[in-house]
Amino acid sequence: MLDGETVVHENDAAQAIRLRALYQIDEMDLERIRSLGSALDGKIDAAVARFYEWMRPLPEFNEYLSDPAVLERVRRLQVAYWVDFLRGVIDAEFVASRRSLGAIHARIGLPLDTYLGGMNSFLMTFSEVASESDSDSFDTSHVTSLSKVLHLDTAIVIDEYNAITKTIIAEQGDALMEMSTPVTEVWADILMLPIVGVIDSRRSMEIMNTMLSKIAETRAHVAILDISGVAVIDTAVANHLIKVTRATRLMGCECLISGVSPAIAQTMVELGIDVGTVRTTATLQDALGMAFHVTGHTVQREA
Amino acid sequence: MARDEVRIQILVDADVARAIVVARQLSREAGLSTPRSTMIATAVSELARNILKYARRGSVTVRAIDRDGRRRVEILATDRGPGIADIETAMKEHFSSGGTLGLGLSGVERMMDEFDIESAPGEGTRVCAALWL
Ligand SMILES: Nc1ncnc2c1ncn2[C@@H]1O[C@H](COP(=O)(O)OP(=O)(O)OP(=O)(O)O)[C@@H](O)[C@H]1O
Ligand SMILES: [Mg+2]
Repeated sequence: MLDGETVVHENDAAQAIRLRALYQIDEMDLERIRSLGSALDGKIDAAVARFYEWMRPLPEFNEYLSDPAVLERVRRLQVAYWVDFLRGVIDAEFVASRRSLGAIHARIGLPLDTYLGGMNSFLMTFSEVASESDSDSFDTSHVTSLSKVLHLDTAIVIDEYNAITKTIIAEQGDALMEMSTPVTEVWADILMLPIVGVIDSRRSMEIMNTMLSKIAETRAHVAILDISGVAVIDTAVANHLIKVTRATRLMGCECLISGVSPAIAQTMVELGIDVGTVRTTATLQDALGMAFHVTGHTVQREA
Repeated sequence: MARDEVRIQILVDADVARAIVVARQLSREAGLSTPRSTMIATAVSELARNILKYARRGSVTVRAIDRDGRRRVEILATDRGPGIADIETAMKEHFSSGGTLGLGLSGVERMMDEFDIESAPGEGTRVCAALWL
């Protein structure tokens, strides 16, 4: 449980309300958490110390907490974490602080099972310390309330952990994509860019940028954008491709879109996309023929 | 093994890409023609992009299912985002609060055999669309 800044999002308040309903947490539960809080007043340090006794023999301890300075900082944050937890308030700040906790764990790559194991060990030590302190004020209803709120807490952390992991995967995808917009000068004056797969907003921008800079560099008069390998042309992609053809035209380069399959053609008509003056062809061969024509090349088989 | 139901959480661009690819594959396996599979995939793309753009997160479910004795491929896109105050306006061609073509929702309605949208401000949006086999 390392340091991280807590930024409250606009829907954290709504999320707090939704999660309280989902985990059936009412005022009674929060009241029990608060009474646990007072029972544990001054004993949280001891509970955290026990947690580290559990943690120390694990390989993760050496991996993440071998530096005494880090350990001390984490320990202090952990105490703060439980003090906050035992306030018995579930609001936007609570959700935000749990989200940032999940983000930190994901970024350092702490495995989820270690996190959950830690929470579990904590719950155990915690109940022990509480029952030692005052057995009368601690019964099963407290355990129920405690576990409800712990589940809610853990759900937020895992959800954010999941979101960050997805972002990391997407970033890896982006890294691969860097290589996927290969504009080549297939003939003097003629550029070609085959697009394969799914076009998202990031990739659209790359297509535009690579195309325009290559035109500036080669002074080509015709560019062919081959979309035969594209999965779908939705309104956003169509909009973008139309913009690309307009921009190339401004640079004195005619842009042809080739590889419009029957399925894509029908879908675009149904969607209601008007390609205006954009020149499109069914096959790459047709586009190449058109390009040769525009640039004044004649291609002939030797007699 | 052919899957007849897939649910994808929409959180980042890569989820939209995955939803498109999975929707197309499921439609083909269910027996839709190539143009109609492309329409399902395109509708998924529109709805998933709307989720990312306007609600930040949500989910898309695609399934092949028998209803009223007929098989169909249906899409269910739901989110708990800001919702749409005026559905009639949002469904109009060329209406966009996001500065794009504004053809998404009306286009999906045109492409699909069935289309239904429910939305309320602060509650989120739920779109169900289907093509018969
Ligand atoms: N999931 C959603 N949550 C909230 N508002 C939405 C959602 N989906 C659509 N809207 C609203 O409906 C309007 C119309 O959506 P539509 O998809 O038709 O157009 P667009 O997304 O603005 O543009 P395009 O899809 O052509 O890029 C949007 O501008 C937005 O205001
Ligand atoms: Mg849209």
